[in-house]
Amino acid sequence: MSKDNSPMGQDSKMPASGGLNATETAAYDALSAGPSRTLLGDAWRRLRKNKLAIVAIVWIVIMVVAAISADLWVPRFFGDPIAIETTTLSTNRLLAPSFTHPFGTDDLGRDVFSRVVYGARFSLAVGLIATAISIVIGLILGALAGYYGGLTDAFVMRGADVFFAFPYTLFAIAMIAVLGPGFINVFLAIGILGWPSIARVFRSSILSVKQQDYIQAARALGANDVRIMLHHILPNSVAPIIVYGTMSIGGAILTEAALSFLGMGIQPPTPSWGYMINASTKFLLTAPWLMLWPGFAILTTVLAFVLLGDGLRDALDVKMKD
Amino acid sequence: MAQDLLVVDDLKMHFHTRDGVVKAVDGVSFTLNKGETIGVVGESGSGKSVTAMTMLRLIPMPPGKIEGGDVRFNGTSLITMSDDEIRKIRGNRIAMIFQDPMTSLNPVYRVGHQIAEPLMLHKGMSKKEAWARATELLEMVGIPHPSSRVKDYPHQFSGGMRQRVMIAMSLACDPDILIADEPTTALDVTIQAQILELMQELQKRTGSAIIMITHDLGVVADMADRILVMYAGKAVEYGTVDEVFYTPSHPYTWGLMDSLPRHDMTEKGELCPIKGQPPSLIDVPPGCSFSPRCPYAKDICKVETPLSRSIDGSHVAACHFAGDAGFTRNEMACALEVTAG
Amino acid sequence: MLKYIARRILQMIPVFIGVTVLLFVMTAVVPGDPVKMITGERQISPAVYNQIRAEYAFDKPLPVQYGMYLNRLLHGDLGRSLMRGRDVRDMLVEKFPYTARLALCAIVIEIIIGIGAGMVSAIKRYSFADVLVTLSTSILVSLPVFWLGTLLQLFFGIYLKRWTGGAFYLPLSGAGGSGVFPEWVYLILPSITLASVSTAYAARIMRSQLLEVMGQDYIRTASAKGLSGSAVLWRHAIKNAMIPVVTFIGIDFGAMMSGAILTETVFNWPGVGNEVYNAVVRRDWPVVMGGVVVIVVLVMVINLLVDISYAFFDPRIRYGGGSEE
Repeated sequence: MSKDNSPMGQDSKMPASGGLNATETAAYDALSAGPSRTLLGDAWRRLRKNKLAIVAIVWIVIMVVAAISADLWVPRFFGDPIAIETTTLSTNRLLAPSFTHPFGTDDLGRDVFSRVVYGARFSLAVGLIATAISIVIGLILGALAGYYGGLTDAFVMRGADVFFAFPYTLFAIAMIAVLGPGFINVFLAIGILGWPSIARVFRSSILSVKQQDYIQAARALGANDVRIMLHHILPNSVAPIIVYGTMSIGGAILTEAALSFLGMGIQPPTPSWGYMINASTKFLLTAPWLMLWPGFAILTTVLAFVLLGDGLRDALDVKMKD
Repeated sequence: MAQDLLVVDDLKMHFHTRDGVVKAVDGVSFTLNKGETIGVVGESGSGKSVTAMTMLRLIPMPPGKIEGGDVRFNGTSLITMSDDEIRKIRGNRIAMIFQDPMTSLNPVYRVGHQIAEPLMLHKGMSKKEAWARATELLEMVGIPHPSSRVKDYPHQFSGGMRQRVMIAMSLACDPDILIADEPTTALDVTIQAQILELMQELQKRTGSAIIMITHDLGVVADMADRILVMYAGKAVEYGTVDEVFYTPSHPYTWGLMDSLPRHDMTEKGELCPIKGQPPSLIDVPPGCSFSPRCPYAKDICKVETPLSRSIDGSHVAACHFAGDAGFTRNEMACALEVTAG
Repeated sequence: MLKYIARRILQMIPVFIGVTVLLFVMTAVVPGDPVKMITGERQISPAVYNQIRAEYAFDKPLPVQYGMYLNRLLHGDLGRSLMRGRDVRDMLVEKFPYTARLALCAIVIEIIIGIGAGMVSAIKRYSFADVLVTLSTSILVSLPVFWLGTLLQLFFGIYLKRWTGGAFYLPLSGAGGSGVFPEWVYLILPSITLASVSTAYAARIMRSQLLEVMGQDYIRTASAKGLSGSAVLWRHAIKNAMIPVVTFIGIDFGAMMSGAILTETVFNWPGVGNEVYNAVVRRDWPVVMGGVVVIVVLVMVINLLVDISYAFFDPRIRYGGGSEE
């Protein structure tokens, strides 16, 4: 398959009539003169040029910092996300956005901004931890399949097919139906879903690398299988896994929101964006803003991961084939 | 005297990219007449393919830009004609075949359809007529059972067969000129010979001219009437095949000849490659672009760009010393030091 | 090609078994007395209790139970609703046409807008249209479907109520609607919502496929034959680029079904998804599991059909290998 990527990656113009490959390569081959830098260094350089990705990273950092440090500043300035002030309940319900309550208050008098920030904790946690679970399972199973081949491979791949047959969110719903709602169960339900993609990617990396000479050399030197996998194969397959992983975080956050929306995620009164949206539908007529904030929160967070994933893929693309 | 079939006159085409101007084609000239074959020889990146694509205006014009020179086909300039007009020429009067037959044919269309396409487009044939002609063409290029094979898809052919299909496709409209861009590079050695033989045979039959682009001197030695040697976007030597092979006059040509493994080499003989790398086409070094790798380079070479010097009639070479008495190939050139740079 | 179809079907069998095993394990693990799962809250005599226990072999080892479960599945028995006492299968069959209509509309939108936008974006690369499409697909892909639905309801149903006459706010109640507007009007918002994410993905894939195809050698050959730009595009490029896109749409059907649950819930659309959600709320597990089974089987069948249709589109599969020397 002819590559249409010049060393300049996404910056090169793609000719509309196509077919410049031999010549483009010829022309641009001349440009890539210069010492080759490290894989990550090169990629980081390219990533830095991608403005959207930088904005995404900044936003993610902001959210993470805000969420982690929430206890320090949110309750003091905006109010507690969970506690209900029964004395002021009647006057504090469903207030429109204002200075003291930038996002307004919900039907129980709680400050919405505070709840959104605290909600970030859980959503980000789910995104990261569930994806981490997927990656770990995926790497292990993918490694077994790719490295040992034969029956193990067939087994794992059929297993992946089974999981692929299930629509993502549906499976999460079914798992929660079985396990019951709650913190850990959400992590598990979403985390278990993601392994097939990672496994497949890692497996194909292994398959393509397995035959190469430096693997035989390492074996001749006495390296055992695990060591080979960790030191030789993993670094080469890191790129697509990084990209998939980043995209998966976004997907995990969306799935968690869906679960919470259906009442199957984290239980109230702990704030969760999905649940907040559900609760707000009752007040569409009287307090429409209630629905907006958690939705925007989800949108911007997931979008940040998606853009970051896109950027990473473009940055790592020259090394990463298919 | 009738005009030449094709005249390339000091053609210059540069790519304007973010990182600078790539001088992909920087002054190429040659002529071609009916029934003749010219071999365009050079390394990857020398600009030989780009030259051919520029002639047919297949280079997208941003980022490419024609900076000078002309290409005249039967007296008419290909560079200045309109888009519609050049499209009437492509595949019709001037056809091109490409290097990799595996990827150059559309996998979702039958072979007959792809051959019939230019016939219906340029010759106004009906589908039936075009497919009939396609079958004839397949037979002409030596594909067995053409009437059933014409309905097959590209992936059902082997590499050599696919290249024959490409040749059939390009000859469909009886072009005056066939441009073959490294037609055998992607094929097995035995198949290579077959394809070249086929092309020669067809040329005798149809009388078309051929531009054979290759990096392989062996290929052109047999087929070509004239040879154009290119380096870093420029033409460095041009002459008849005898002139260039028996009296090469440019150090780069000497280097090419030297780097060929020879029959008479002893087993312990070393290969003699040209030292160094081709230059970046953006930061073109001043003076002669070959000078950093040239064992014969003198100070003037680093400063002044050499113009084409006439050696003998139409035999020219772009070297300050070309044709000078006593400027001959040094048998020990391999051992000479080269000023790196 | 028949070989290809046969192979695909054979490959599906172990997957189907795996899926049913997984589902069975999930149903077996549901907390609570399994007999109660069948009978619900009703009071039953010990005799009936034991009868049910024997009938479903709850005292036998799991593999036996699985076998019986599989048997029931293959006969179309999905159990009985705890709350309604009706056969799950009947309930779902009743709701299915609504979901089917919704999904169909969504797919049509996905094809027309998704593929169209993707094409425009690829053809006019770096233009304003391209940037617009790229940005909006990124946003749509990050948008929670249920939020979009609510947003649309808010906007069209409430803010624009004057102009739309409340069509988008009044929920469709039962078969035949609330009678004020023809049914297709009620379909508009939910199908747009359901289609949104899929359309975005379809556009992205179309775009990247088309760009990749445009860089292929055979496109260069087509230009060299003298074909005009649009002929090259429509006759050579698009035909190749469409293949993966069409298969994507088929594969995406599964995700659409998941989305259907959320969308139907938001718009109170009486389809299978809504039914599953309501069942979750009232802890009616047989309905939930039954719904899941139905959807999963449907997805698998569609995937199989997509795989088979792939053979029609790609002659390399249809006429399997040639002579490769």
